[in-house]
Amino acid sequence: MPKKRLDLFPYVLIAPAVFAATLVVLIPILQTAGMSFMNYLIYKPKARSFIGLKNYITALADPVFWISIRHTVVWIAGVISLQLALGFGAALLLNRNFWWRGIARSLILIPWVTPSVITALMWRWMYDGNRGVINDLLVRFGFLRHYFPWLSNDKTALVSVMVALMWQGFPFFTIMIMAGLQSIPSSLYEAAMVDGAGAVTRFVKITVPLLIPILFTTILLRIIWVANSLDIIFVMTGGGPGYSTYTLPLYSYVKAYKALDFGYAATLALLLAALLAVVVAGYVAKVLSTEDSQ
Amino acid sequence: MKRRSKLLRNILTLHLPVLLIVLFAVGPYVWTFISSVTPQKEMDMEFRYLPEHATMDNYARLFGNLNFGTNVKDSFIVALGSTILGMTLTLTASYSFSRFNFRFKQFFLIQFLVINMFPIVLLIIPLFVMMKNLGIMDTHFALMIAYSTFTIPFATWMMTGFFRAIPRELDESAQIDGLGRFGTFVRVIVPIALPGVSATGIYIFINSWNEFIYASILTSSAVRTIPVSLQNMVGEYQIAWGLLTAGGVVAAIPILTMFFFIQKTMISGMTAGAVKG
Amino acid sequence: MKRILSVLCLLAMVLGTALAEGQGDEKSGAKPAAPQTVKFWYHFDNPETAINPLIAKFEMENPGIKIVAERVDWGSYYQKLVTAIAAGTPPDVSQVKLWWQPQLVEMDALEPLDPYLAKWAGKGDVFDNVWKLTKHSDGKQYYMPLQMVILYMYYRTDMFKELGLQPPKTRDEFLDVAKKLTRDLNKDGEPDVYGFGIRGAKGGHDWWGTFALSSGARFFDANGKSGLTTPKAIAANEWFIDLYRKHKVSPPTTPTDGFKEIIANMKSGKTAMTIHHIGSAKEMDDALGEKISACPVPVGTEGSWTSFGDEENAVFKASKVKDAAFKWVAFLATAENNAIWQKASGQVSINVSNGDKSDPKLARFMKATVDSMPFAGVLPAHQKIAEFVDAVWPTVTGQTLLGQITPEEMMRAFEKHFQN
Repeated sequence: MPKKRLDLFPYVLIAPAVFAATLVVLIPILQTAGMSFMNYLIYKPKARSFIGLKNYITALADPVFWISIRHTVVWIAGVISLQLALGFGAALLLNRNFWWRGIARSLILIPWVTPSVITALMWRWMYDGNRGVINDLLVRFGFLRHYFPWLSNDKTALVSVMVALMWQGFPFFTIMIMAGLQSIPSSLYEAAMVDGAGAVTRFVKITVPLLIPILFTTILLRIIWVANSLDIIFVMTGGGPGYSTYTLPLYSYVKAYKALDFGYAATLALLLAALLAVVVAGYVAKVLSTEDSQ
Repeated sequence: MKRRSKLLRNILTLHLPVLLIVLFAVGPYVWTFISSVTPQKEMDMEFRYLPEHATMDNYARLFGNLNFGTNVKDSFIVALGSTILGMTLTLTASYSFSRFNFRFKQFFLIQFLVINMFPIVLLIIPLFVMMKNLGIMDTHFALMIAYSTFTIPFATWMMTGFFRAIPRELDESAQIDGLGRFGTFVRVIVPIALPGVSATGIYIFINSWNEFIYASILTSSAVRTIPVSLQNMVGEYQIAWGLLTAGGVVAAIPILTMFFFIQKTMISGMTAGAVKG
Repeated sequence: MKRILSVLCLLAMVLGTALAEGQGDEKSGAKPAAPQTVKFWYHFDNPETAINPLIAKFEMENPGIKIVAERVDWGSYYQKLVTAIAAGTPPDVSQVKLWWQPQLVEMDALEPLDPYLAKWAGKGDVFDNVWKLTKHSDGKQYYMPLQMVILYMYYRTDMFKELGLQPPKTRDEFLDVAKKLTRDLNKDGEPDVYGFGIRGAKGGHDWWGTFALSSGARFFDANGKSGLTTPKAIAANEWFIDLYRKHKVSPPTTPTDGFKEIIANMKSGKTAMTIHHIGSAKEMDDALGEKISACPVPVGTEGSWTSFGDEENAVFKASKVKDAAFKWVAFLATAENNAIWQKASGQVSINVSNGDKSDPKLARFMKATVDSMPFAGVLPAHQKIAEFVDAVWPTVTGQTLLGQITPEEMMRAFEKHFQN
């Protein structure tokens, strides 16, 4: 009898979540994915037909597709690194005990809590090439001679947007890593100090190893999230100037709602998911293997 | 002597870096605030840091004509509901993933991951049809369902990670103490994982607070969350800059206040003596 | 245990509220026998304006019809409309733009208004030109005029006076004046005033049209073939791009300058001329007063072209209250009510009899608008025009302004877009 209970109980626990996610998310995904094999233009309801892999072939020959992939890779790598570096540093600092810790922790939430439309418009305004505060400060402190059109220059546009994303996203890492740091029992540090370990040793031998599970999960989830994010880029530059800030999710969105070509948009989305799956496969294998060894 | 050098070291290695990070985080927000109290006429003139005649006029109009208070209320209801709904489903699922080994476990875990690889922006039409058929268009509930289900996959992965960090010995010692499986979960595991639980809850809450696309598509007049209201200030030919920045300033305050009180739960339960010996 | 109970209670409360709300909506959604409800989607730029007075007036004049108006933000307007149509539940009436018409008609979403218009008394009070421009290529009238703007050129009277210049009439005069107005006032090596603010970001196709379509470029010639890559067309485009790349009369931020930037640059004195319409006239006048005025856009080598900016109302085929819907759109297109609407939208009435009712302070801008009417045009009714406006023009022009492709390649890219 006990054996039977053990068999069903885990499933019972995950059932509601799986059900909700499948019904509301997975099925629509499959529906939309199906559109990628069709000539699915929203404004031509009568002319829809099955065209097999034609959309995919078009995509692989589409120069904008490759530009978007290149930008997406740079985008993911850059944004994650920046957010992680700043977020980790902030987490370590904010985990320590000092009198204004509560205020500091609340204040650094601001970037994460600000609605995207405000974030995008404010950063765009700050970067403005004619009246932006960033330019003004840089000129004032002597780093620049003239105002520079950060978002209008194809070489600096993407990086500029990435900085705005770093601002928006580092608090997420800070919160998660802080939670992870708190899960490490202080008794471990005490024992290490008794053994004479210095701060750096404690960090390397205790903190990092115990944080790795959390770090892995957080970075993985963040990669997937950032890869798909488009609201900030869309409002800050719309993908421009030219195609300099085009990423794959943005291209997919433009195709869906400007060209009303859902078939092609779905294709691009699936290709992005495939790209991510390759990246994620490596991660997942590693995580699951370390878990099995527990 | 030792005290002074310790203080100096603290300033350099702790207070100063934290201050810099806080300034970075807060800078654009302060700039938004400055814009919100700058009268329109001054915005067109030469660039300056502080307005000559600061005015709270935008805030008056925001809460008066535009009824922003209702937007805040709507956002709050939706975010809170999404968080409760999402966390309930997430906690139980994560507990299962972290503590049990069962067939299809990896399959479901990977399915959760894969779901989030797809840009949800393209799912608007199927979801629109679904909510329409359920008869819950333009309700808080529609958004709660949408938000909690979108965040469940990620939240489950995160919570599973936090739970996994808690050693199984705790489960065993609790069960030795006579607690059932459910009791162990609720009275031992969750409190220890409270920082992770809080962090995940915060993640769901903020996601729901800031979400725009689905709020715009699934609601019309009965429910109007903050992002939808703000987006209405960005027009075809002009942006109502003063109102927009005022709204942006206000939008952050409820969560910051909430977090200031909740952040104490980020203190570990590990030091509360749960581990014996 | 206590904690679980309290969480569950909270959960129950929240869900209960939400469910009750859902129930309430269902109940009120039950069909009322008497009044007909017309669902109306619209948008105004100014978030503080409302159309409640107009709705109240209409409902008083038309007992038995209720208007439920929903304000939709501009950024997601088309997306929301398309989603609703695709799901089978469009509103009864919606504000629409001309370049959406080909796709909406192809989707069979719109109701032709010709039978209603034949019996409508107010038809004669709308400018003939407006009917012509809003009629679809299949001869049917799906769109009901609502408001219009015509793009003209702003110029800084004080800067012109300072340099002894006259508002330019031809494009050569324009270039000459723009070059003279581009000056480095504080001698730091970088111009502080630019002659002309080009809108390089989305929406700038109207700027481009003024210079390209007036000097030999055409989307389609009389036989339906592309007129974008003839030698004259390519030359006209090159002349336009050269304004930025060769003569540098437009600020370095041009590739990403949208309407907000070009207006701000005008107000701050960074640019001496730019193109826009009467929708921004009031704020320009507030900021600059006598220092700003307007004139029609410069004449090209083959005439003039400026954009007829539009907004109309459309009735949807899926509507169950088409008669009532038409009454509403006709109401809004009647002089008295249209004037009230324009006060909220800041644009120009489509009624002849409203001609002399505009704000006297903005008379000079109205004059520029009226003077530009004879050559105001719209983009061709092609199914891919929406994508051209929203995506293709901004990206390809951006690449050209950055020097990544040549002006000729730009025109070829446009041509390719319409040929697919």
